[in-house]
Amino acid sequence: MAGRILIVEDSTLVTDAFEILFRAAGYDVAIAATVAEAVAHGRTESVDVMLLDLSLPDGDGIEVLEELGATGRLPRATLAMTGHDDPKIRQRCLDAGCADVLLKPLPIGDILRHIERHLA
Amino acid sequence: MTMSRQADPASTAQRLKALEAQAKEAQRTIDELNARDALKTQFLSNISHDLRTPLAAIITHAEILRDGMLGELNQKQRDSVKGIVSGGQQLLDMVDEILTYVRAAGDQLTLTRTEFSIVELIDQVRMLNQALAAKKKLTIERMNGDDLPPIYADRDKLKHVIGNLIGNAIKFTPDGGRIWISLSRYGRKGEELVVEVGDTGRGIAQENHELVFREFAQVDASPSRSHHGTGLGLAIARKLVELHDGTIWVESELGKGSRFFFRIPLAPRRA
Repeated sequence: MAGRILIVEDSTLVTDAFEILFRAAGYDVAIAATVAEAVAHGRTESVDVMLLDLSLPDGDGIEVLEELGATGRLPRATLAMTGHDDPKIRQRCLDAGCADVLLKPLPIGDILRHIERHLA
Repeated sequence: MTMSRQADPASTAQRLKALEAQAKEAQRTIDELNARDALKTQFLSNISHDLRTPLAAIITHAEILRDGMLGELNQKQRDSVKGIVSGGQQLLDMVDEILTYVRAAGDQLTLTRTEFSIVELIDQVRMLNQALAAKKKLTIERMNGDDLPPIYADRDKLKHVIGNLIGNAIKFTPDGGRIWISLSRYGRKGEELVVEVGDTGRGIAQENHELVFREFAQVDASPSRSHHGTGLGLAIARKLVELHDGTIWVESELGKGSRFFFRIPLAPRRA
């Protein structure tokens, strides 16, 4: 059950760990550290699941969804990742088209289950 | 001839001026202390936030190893990696506790009220703590409360309060002890809910009953103390209860266990 995951996150500590995890689980992995990189990747490559951090060095993670949405190149599912358990942030992500909002950090079993569910 | 002791207008004016100068100086000191306090709180917030990312990465790497995703480990290796995961989790919980405190101290917390069953919430927190309690052969019982109406409050924040109280009871009750949760209604029409978390632990001396709710305070603050933590659990619990227009207090004597109580309105007027 392979699929392509785009990790949008500026901390290499986090992306390194996720890359190992997702490759071990059999997925293709791509990484973007900024809004600009994520948009550029999304425009040229197809993405099944995008894991999207909300605070990126060059802007708000939601901008990635807006820009990709405008060109009709949205991933099959976007899972927002945030460190704040805030109902307002959650609603904002869902309104912007995220399939789910994950509270960081999540046990790896839960992350994999979320991804599998959205790829099914 | 007697001289009337009338105040010399010039010296009164001088004294007034001196007093004004003193008041200004005092205000400057207060402002400076407040600014430093705010700076410290901001520092605490930044450092806690920055600690979370590497900590989360360490835990993720350890979980990948523990779950055998990069190849099966033998039992000893697995136990060792499990130690990294649980140590990391504990550290992360402490960092989160500091972040919650900083937000509460900066009045950045708001309530998101919903209607829910308080006994279901208490049972959920009991279940979450069962493994920890079992390690010390402690029992955690809910004595009553099945007949209580739903409460209109912030579920997550009350979960935090009850979790902190039960967590403390587990920490400070010796092996084989008992922890109980008792619920009652208070007020002329029973409009308030009182939750008691009691234990058969070491108890708290009268003079420390206020201290335990103060931030960073630990009754035993020596470096050799047997219980470690942020010292924020009860300070946070107090803030969260006060956000609900409630009060929190303890009844305890040294050697005779502790009973922590909090009281909040069951159904406050809805905005």
